[in-house]
Amino acid sequence: MNTFLAALFSGTSRGAIFALVALGLVIVWRGAGIVNFAQMGQAMFSTYIASTLITNGSSYWVGFVVALLSGAALGSILDVLVMRPLSNKKKTELLGSESMRAAVPVLASLGILGALQALAGIIWAAEERGFPAPAKQEGFTVAGNAMPFTAFDVFVIGSVAVTLILTTLFFKKTSMGLAMRATALNQEVAKLSGIRTNRTRTLSWAISGASSSLAGLLLTPSSNLSPNTLDLALLIGFTAAVVGGLDSPAGAVLGGFILGMVISFVTFYDTPEDVFLAILVVLLLALIVRPRGILGSKDARRV
Amino acid sequence: MLKVENLVTKFGSVIALDGVSLSAQDSKITTVIGANGAGKSTLLRTISGLEHPSQGSITWQGESIVGRRPEDIVRMGIAHVPEGHAVISELSVEENIAMGSLFRRRKFKSDVQVAIDEAYQLFPRLLERRKQLAGTLSGGERQMLAISRALVSRPKLLLLDEPSLGLAPLVVEQIIDSVNILCRTTGLTVLLVEQNANTALGVADHGVLLSLGKVVADRPAAELKADASLRAAYLGY
Repeated sequence: MNTFLAALFSGTSRGAIFALVALGLVIVWRGAGIVNFAQMGQAMFSTYIASTLITNGSSYWVGFVVALLSGAALGSILDVLVMRPLSNKKKTELLGSESMRAAVPVLASLGILGALQALAGIIWAAEERGFPAPAKQEGFTVAGNAMPFTAFDVFVIGSVAVTLILTTLFFKKTSMGLAMRATALNQEVAKLSGIRTNRTRTLSWAISGASSSLAGLLLTPSSNLSPNTLDLALLIGFTAAVVGGLDSPAGAVLGGFILGMVISFVTFYDTPEDVFLAILVVLLLALIVRPRGILGSKDARRV
Repeated sequence: MLKVENLVTKFGSVIALDGVSLSAQDSKITTVIGANGAGKSTLLRTISGLEHPSQGSITWQGESIVGRRPEDIVRMGIAHVPEGHAVISELSVEENIAMGSLFRRRKFKSDVQVAIDEAYQLFPRLLERRKQLAGTLSGGERQMLAISRALVSRPKLLLLDEPSLGLAPLVVEQIIDSVNILCRTTGLTVLLVEQNANTALGVADHGVLLSLGKVVADRPAAELKADASLRAAYLGY
């Protein structure tokens, strides 16, 4: 019973983080039609920035806010400097077919991932370093018994919940949110309605950059920080997005929690070594049983 | 006034518009008719900036608009309602209409709601259904919604692409009537593309007949309507 509760709690907390990673992928997919494999490289980069600030004497919270802002900035820069020119119909005309052209930005995102990891290695040296948590990582004790739930878990779930509520309100209630949804759903009609789709695209990169940076900040305290730390998180987040539906933000969150539970239960009841295998099995199953994802729409493009 | 001169638009090696010249007079309805594949839709798409012409000029109120983006062209007062009841099905009726006025919300704040109310007055059925998703509307209602979305941008020129497509005759009549009233009462300039030549020529002041990317006739609508030989040769009835 105690193992079960422990697995459940840990699954919720991890799932919340993977929900963020998946949400970041979905926002860029909807806003720009690109699966961004560089996403956790961007998150790694901004976590290093936070780490540098904190080791040089800034408070955790200064590092936290700066990491989110730099995540948003890095996302916007990548879109403006790399993705926008690569998506330009006229400039990529040489490539011929539509599917070739669609693949180019995705390949570019892989290149960006490699470049960011190399750059981080050069700047911060490739060895691992720790990253602080803003709250205790030991379990609460109730009547002398250690509980499987930590103050950090509470912080994780709380901050993810706030992020999800804020993004939902932004997309549903604000003019800019409506402009972004319209662009994601039908770019041509959005343009004809006067929406500056270049800007909404960049904004989706910024939001995705900030939310995945938050995921980076929440993931690294339980591992260590190195240029490759977050690679697995990208795979898990991508699987979560596929499970939930690559074009559905709610599906991404659901997928994140499903993956969190799978990983946690495999860790507690089997062995942590099997986690990677379990993720691949889930990915395969999802692609075979329901390729559009649990909440994905019918005519979504497949990758 | 909109003036199109010697416009050429290609898709790869296919020439969709082959030197088209025409104009749309202020506060009048000009209709462009022709068979499938004549280049009617391409003409509107080139005017609104969705396609780029390889030659020719488009002048709107004395200013060239070739090379401008659709987002900027709509800000100059040209609203395009593309073919096929172009609304966003996953958004509500309200959101679809709001979408068309997003770019005006700062500069013309007080007028945004007025424009939306006017659209609902023109098509009261949309008001009843304003919370519904656009995908649940009938074809006619979707066309009304697409037109409303364009109208709340307060256009001076409305580009309408086959509003009658797939609709029952009664609904077509209602929609065409609304556009006609709008033109006559508010001075809106309309460029109406139609396959349904009879209906279009019935309300239009001026008619242009396109065939295989070229203008074959450019005359007052009544004259064009009366010309049985042209009709037989290019429209097949």
